[in-house]
Amino acid sequence: MHEPMFTSCLRGAGTVIGLARMALEAAAYRRGKEAPLAYPDTAYELPVVFGLTDIRVSTLADAGKVLDLAETLVRSFASAENALDAGAATLLAADVIGAISHENGNPFMPPAMGFIPDSILRKLGIYLVDGSVPGVAVVIGKATDPAVAAAMVRQFQEIGLLVFIAGDVVAQLDAQGVKLGEDFKTFPLGPLPAVIHAVNFAVRAGLTFGGIGRGQGAAMLSYLANRVKAFVCALGPLDDVALAIAAGAMKAGLTVLSDQPVPEIPGKLLSRPAGGAMVQAGMEARGIKVKMVKVPIPIAFGPAFEGERIRKADTHIEFGGGRSVAYELVRSAPPEEVHDREIVVDGPDLRGLPKGSVLPLGIVVRVAGARMQHDFESVLERRIHRIVNYGEGTMHVAQRDTTWIRVSTEAVEKGFSLADLGLMLYAKLHADFENIVDKVSVSITTRLEDVEAGLAGARAAYAERDARARTLTDDAVSEFYSCTLCQSFAPNHVCIVSPERLGLCGAINWLDGKAGFEITPTGPNQPVQKGGVRDAVKGSFDGVNEFVRENSRNTVTEMNLYSIMESPMTSCGCFECVLAIIPEANGVMAVNREFTGQETPCGMGFSTLAGSVGGGVQTPGFMGVGKHYLLSKKFLGAEGGLPRVVWMPREMKEYLGPLLRERAAEIGMPDLVDQIADETVAVTPDALVEHLVKVGHPALKLPPLL
Amino acid sequence: MSVTLPIPGFPGRILAVTLPAGPGGTPVTVGGQNALPLLREGEHPNAPAVGMEVPTGTMELPPALAAVIGPFAGDPAAMARKCAGDWGARFLFLSLAGCHPDGGGQSVPFGAAIVREVLSATPVPVIVGGCGDEEVDARLFPAVAEAAFRPVFLSYAEEKNHRLVAGAALAYGHGVVSWSPIDINMAKQMNLLLADLGFPPDRVLIDPLTGGLGYGMEYTFTIIERIRLAGLSGDAALARPVLCHLGDAWKAREATDASEGSWGDVDLRGRRWEEATGLACLAAGADLLVCRHPSNVARLSEAAWR
Repeated sequence: MHEPMFTSCLRGAGTVIGLARMALEAAAYRRGKEAPLAYPDTAYELPVVFGLTDIRVSTLADAGKVLDLAETLVRSFASAENALDAGAATLLAADVIGAISHENGNPFMPPAMGFIPDSILRKLGIYLVDGSVPGVAVVIGKATDPAVAAAMVRQFQEIGLLVFIAGDVVAQLDAQGVKLGEDFKTFPLGPLPAVIHAVNFAVRAGLTFGGIGRGQGAAMLSYLANRVKAFVCALGPLDDVALAIAAGAMKAGLTVLSDQPVPEIPGKLLSRPAGGAMVQAGMEARGIKVKMVKVPIPIAFGPAFEGERIRKADTHIEFGGGRSVAYELVRSAPPEEVHDREIVVDGPDLRGLPKGSVLPLGIVVRVAGARMQHDFESVLERRIHRIVNYGEGTMHVAQRDTTWIRVSTEAVEKGFSLADLGLMLYAKLHADFENIVDKVSVSITTRLEDVEAGLAGARAAYAERDARARTLTDDAVSEFYSCTLCQSFAPNHVCIVSPERLGLCGAINWLDGKAGFEITPTGPNQPVQKGGVRDAVKGSFDGVNEFVRENSRNTVTEMNLYSIMESPMTSCGCFECVLAIIPEANGVMAVNREFTGQETPCGMGFSTLAGSVGGGVQTPGFMGVGKHYLLSKKFLGAEGGLPRVVWMPREMKEYLGPLLRERAAEIGMPDLVDQIADETVAVTPDALVEHLVKVGHPALKLPPLL
Repeated sequence: MSVTLPIPGFPGRILAVTLPAGPGGTPVTVGGQNALPLLREGEHPNAPAVGMEVPTGTMELPPALAAVIGPFAGDPAAMARKCAGDWGARFLFLSLAGCHPDGGGQSVPFGAAIVREVLSATPVPVIVGGCGDEEVDARLFPAVAEAAFRPVFLSYAEEKNHRLVAGAALAYGHGVVSWSPIDINMAKQMNLLLADLGFPPDRVLIDPLTGGLGYGMEYTFTIIERIRLAGLSGDAALARPVLCHLGDAWKAREATDASEGSWGDVDLRGRRWEEATGLACLAAGADLLVCRHPSNVARLSEAAWR
C-alpha cells in the first residue's frame, strides 16, 4: 500500500537532484566553477549541508560534491528507509538550488521572503528555546478552499506558533488578508521548493541553540526530531517532488499531515482534512502544548489564598462535607478519549441559587499523557484540594467522597461559576504536572441522580486504588525514591521514601516521589535502586547505602530503613513527629509537632527534641518520622515494631485513631492503643514505667533496647 | 625525623571559564583549580578576579559610595572607563537596574544602548545584570544579547527564566550566570537544566546569592564551600567557578548608617563591611568578586592570591 508512495519519493528526489544539477551547471557556465556560493546573511554556508554532512561549501564546485553525495542516497528499491534517505537527498539538493537562486538576494516577489537570515533566526530562536513559541507549523501546497487555509494559519498565529508557508498557498493566504511577515511570526517563503528555507531555518536552530557542530548529522536529526516541535501541513494533491520533500521532513522527525487520502504512517504521515482536525493532529503528534498564562476566572487565584477559611456566614453555597453527596475523582484515559480543555457543567450552577444552598457534587477530571500512569491518579487527585483552596472565595476540605467545598457569597457575586472551578483545575493540573499531563478535561455535575451514579463508579475506583496500594510494599518494588529537597538547610540529609515509609515530613509518599521524578527528572526525587538486601528486618539495602553515601557526600555511609537504634535515617527538620527512646521503659515515645507541652517522659518537649534530632545527622535512639509511618508494617522492624511505642500525646493518638487501632488489632494486640500512655497519664519515666507495668504493656517483654 | 604531612587530593577539577574581552583588553580566566582556596597544595592556575559594579538608573548611595561613585551618576560609560582604568577592575558588572519600574524605569532599548556604550567605552570583560523585574527582564535579556556586539555574560538565569536567558545567550554567543537562592541542590539543578538545553558548560558561572556580613553571609559561605567540595569531589555540575556579588553588604545598617556616631567613621565602616564580606567569599572559594567601592578592588585583589 505504501510502495507506490515510496516510488514517488525516489522519483521526486531524482527530479530535484536533476534540477539542482542543471541549475549548478548553468551557474558554473555563467560564473565559473570556482565562483562563490552562499546564502546571504548566514554563518552556516548551506545550512542543511553544514548540519548533515561534512562537506564545506564555498564555491559552485563544492556544491557539486553535495549533489554527488545526494545521488548516492537515492537507491532504487522502494522501501520506507530508502524513501526517507531519498528525502534527505532531496533536502540537500534543494539547499543547493536555494543558494544558487539567492545569488542576488531574495529571488521571489513579495510577500515571499526567500531565505530567512540569521538575524531573524537568533531573535525568534530565543522564544523557541524559551517555549513561548511552542512550535513550528509549515504549510505547503495549494489549498482546495483558501478560506480554510486562512483560518488554519490564523489559528497558528493565535497559538503563537512560528509559521512557514511555501507554494501557491502563499498567494492564496495573501489574498485572504492573512497577516504575513516577521511581526506575525509568519514567513511566506516562496514557491514549493522554497520550503527548504523552513528546513534550513530549523537546521540553523540546531546549530545555534542546540550546541551541534558541523557535520554531526545524527545529533542534528535527533535535535530536529526531539527539540524542534514542527509539523508540515501539505494541502492539495502531492506530486513526486512534494512527496520527496515530505519524506525529507519525516527523515528530520517532523510529522506530515496531508488533506489527501495518503496511506498513513503513524506519527509520521497522517491524513486529515484541512482545518481544525489537521491543527489538532499536528500539535498532538509533536506534543505541542499551549500554556495558559492567566486563568480567566472572575476571582483571584493563587497560593496567597490557600489558607483562607470561609465561615458559615460568608458561605453562599456548599457541597459535600456530610451535608450532601459529593466526590472528586481523577482518572487517566487514552489520549483519543480526552478532549483537552473540555469543561462540562451539568445541573444547576451557582448563579441564581439562594444563599445557604447545599448541592450534591461530582467532579471527574480526566487526564491523558504519554507519561501519565494510573498510579499518578491519586497524586493529581490530592492536588485538587490545594487548587480549589487557591481561589479567593473557594474552600476545600478532605478528599475523595468526603470532599467538602464552600463558595463565598463574594465569589458568587463576582460571577464565579462551576465552569470557573473546572478551569482552575484544568489550568493548574496542566501547569503543575506539565511533564506528565498532555490533556485535561473536567466534568462537574450537581444533579443528584448523576452524582449518585458517578459516586458508585468513583468508589469502585478508590477501592481499586487502595487494593493497588496494599500491593505496593517495600518487598514488592525494586526502587525507592529519594527526597533531597531539604538539603538547602540540612546539607547532608537524604530522605529515602519507600512504599511503606513515607517521607518524614508526611508530605511525600512513594508515589509522589515517583511522580516527582517524572515531573522534574533533574529534581530532588530520584529513583534509588534497592540493590542487594543486606538485612531485610533492619531494612539495609546496598543500593540505598550507596545512594545515601554519595548524596550525603560521604557523611552517612550506612542507613537502615527500619531501625532507630542502628544507623537510623537522618532527619532534616520537617518531621511530623519525633521518636525517642525511653531506656527505663524499654520502648520509644512519639511526640508530634503540634504538641506544645514541655513535659514528656524523656524530659524534652517537641521543640527541644527537634533541635537535637535535626540537621541531617544520625542520632541513634532519636529519629524524625511522618505520623503515618507508625501504622506501617515496617515501623521499627529492627526493634519489634509498634509494640515498642509506650507514650504519645493524646492529640496524636486521636489523630491516628481508628487506623492505629486497626494496626494494633492486626498484630494481635487490640488493647495496645489504650496501653500506650499519654501526657495525662505520665510525664516522667518512673510514672510511665509504673503505668506500663500496671496495664501490662508488651514493650516490657521485648528484648532490651540497649 | 621527618614527618610526611597527609595532603588530601581531590579527584575533580573546577572547569576553567573565560570572560572574553574586547580588542586590546585582557580576558579574565578563572577556575581550573583542583584544590580548596588559599592553600598551598594542588594547582591554582587562575587567581580569583575582582571586578566592579557599574550601576544605572536612580541611585541612593550610602555615604561611603556617594563620595566616589556619585559623580558618575547617569554616565555608566564614564564610570566603566574609570573602573577599568584607575580603579583596576578586571571586569565589569553592568547592572541595568535602571530598567526596573522602581529603579528609574528606563526603556529596554535605552538599557540596550547603555550596554553598547559601555562595551565601546572599555575592552574589559563585562557581565550584564538584568533589572530584576520578571516582565521587563523577559524583554531586556534578548535585547541586551542582541545589542552586545562582543561576548558578555548575562546575569542571571534562574529556574523560572533559564530558558529565555540561555536562549538569548546561545543566539548571540554569550555566557550566563546561573543563579540559585543559597541552595546547593538548585545550583546543581540549574546547571543540569542548562546542560539539558545544550548550553556549553564553559560559559556558565555559578552565583549562589551572596548575603552581606551579618545578613546571611555565613549561609553563603557554607553553600560556596559545599559547592566547591562537591565539585572537587567529582560532581561535574558543580565544578564551576563561583561569582559573588558583594552588593548585599551595602544593605547592612552598619555599613551605611551615619547617625550612629559611636560606630565610628561611616566611610571606613562601609568599605570594611564590603571588604570583610569579600574576604569571607574568597576563603569559601569564590572565583569572581563584584564590589562597589573602588578601594576594595585593590584590597581584595591583594587577598586573592590563589
